[in-house]
Amino acid sequence: MKLNRRLLLTVFAAGLAGFGTSFAANADTIAIITPSHDNPFFKAEADGAAAKAVELGYETLVLVHDDDANKQSELFDSAIAAGVKAIILDNAGADASVAAIQKAKDAGIPSFLIDREITATGVAVSQIVSNNYQGAQLGAEEFVKLMGEKGPYAELIGKESDTNAGVRSQGYHDVIDQYPDMELVAAQTANWSQTEAYGVMESMLQAHPEIMGVISGNDTMAMGAWAALEAAGRTDVIVVGFDGSNDVRDSILAGGVKATVLQPAYAQAQLAVVQADQFLKSGSTGVDEKQLMDCVLINGDNASNLETFALK
Amino acid sequence: MKRTCSSLLFAVLALGVSSCTIVENAPPDQQAIPADASGDDARTAIRIKETFDSQLIPFVRENALPISELRAALEGGLVPTGEKHGHVGSGEGAAWNFPISGTGKVVAANLDSRARSMEIDTDDDGAADVTVQLGPVIKGSALRDVAPFYIYDDFRDQIEFAKLSRAINGKISEIIAVPEEEVVGKTATFVGAIALKSATEAFVVTAISVEFAQ
Repeated sequence: MKLNRRLLLTVFAAGLAGFGTSFAANADTIAIITPSHDNPFFKAEADGAAAKAVELGYETLVLVHDDDANKQSELFDSAIAAGVKAIILDNAGADASVAAIQKAKDAGIPSFLIDREITATGVAVSQIVSNNYQGAQLGAEEFVKLMGEKGPYAELIGKESDTNAGVRSQGYHDVIDQYPDMELVAAQTANWSQTEAYGVMESMLQAHPEIMGVISGNDTMAMGAWAALEAAGRTDVIVVGFDGSNDVRDSILAGGVKATVLQPAYAQAQLAVVQADQFLKSGSTGVDEKQLMDCVLINGDNASNLETFALK
Repeated sequence: MKRTCSSLLFAVLALGVSSCTIVENAPPDQQAIPADASGDDARTAIRIKETFDSQLIPFVRENALPISELRAALEGGLVPTGEKHGHVGSGEGAAWNFPISGTGKVVAANLDSRARSMEIDTDDDGAADVTVQLGPVIKGSALRDVAPFYIYDDFRDQIEFAKLSRAINGKISEIIAVPEEEVVGKTATFVGAIALKSATEAFVVTAISVEFAQ
């Protein structure tokens, strides 16, 4: 008798659990796939997208691809198998990602890209990207101004596989190369990494002690470079970054790094979710696929208004 | 057997397709230009050749709003003014761009920098109310964004889009002549484009023409 009751309870419990699971699966899920959250920029994207998704009544599936296109492809397979309704993606390679997005599209799942473009249109529904080139031009103009339009400088370049590394570098040179008295003495990648940038900056200083400025592809590298400069007693060097992180904001306010360029990451991610929701409900976002979001220069004048990749 | 064959075929196709890059056919006159980044400069050169003199310059000249009229219109808000007289840049947070003209006394000039500029007083109150960029280094992309015929979707990516702006800005130093002697105190007449993100933002003109009178 006891056994039967236990059995009955077990079956009942299992039945409830089963009911619970299927009930949860009925809530639409949006997958949010970005590079590693170690970089606060990507964490802000994921947080922004998740917050908006929950606000609009979705469940979320938050994944990181670590800038590995193969891992990204596997995550897409998982998302497709899990039956998500839409994918918000900050992709792992402009060429390499097209196939994964197409795969999802073929499975009836629309993708909404943020931060980085892909080299095809008609595959993703939206590509909301920062105008990195425009942002880089802003940063470079400030850099040139602070350098007095002359002097030896170094460049820290981002991760080669990230299309934005090249876009920003080109944007920087688009401006700086118009000033013949600005002299590039060293340019090297630090792969978006703070620790790597520290080491690279140290070596650059040893080889080129005349360096008067450093323009960096992103904020984490700028922070690493600044730390190396401080350690070497070279706080006279002008450093400019890119992204608009809280760390660099604090450095600007303390007189360290001089400027950065804000990518409105939080707003971008939220906009992507809004467009996904619109698309799922009406079959269209109402706007063009490719959407640029202007970047904003952050320096001592407005740094105090900056919080987690948004200007108050 | 049939199913194995077709799934094998499918697998081969899928593998093959995923390693292919889709290259769009360019119109016949551009057939020789590669569709990827290496073709950017060639495409940009064609765009400049086909549109700068025949479309962009006439567009700015013919639609240039006198500066006082623009200021008056802006009192009704940036967006209504933009919708009536201007063109918005691509994407969120982009500026409204207006063709503009004006005349006034040159109050100050920075001709030593590579990014030469002058401050002009157009409303006769003694203080400068507009900055005119003279190049050769031009900031911003107002001259590209003021035109409705340069559409971001037509470009491979933001780099190609930016290259057009750079090429347009690069033409400015060819078409603007800045006198050798002192310009402060002279009267300058300008035609160009400005970009505004708010109705109260300072006017910075990217000029397509500047004339000086005593």
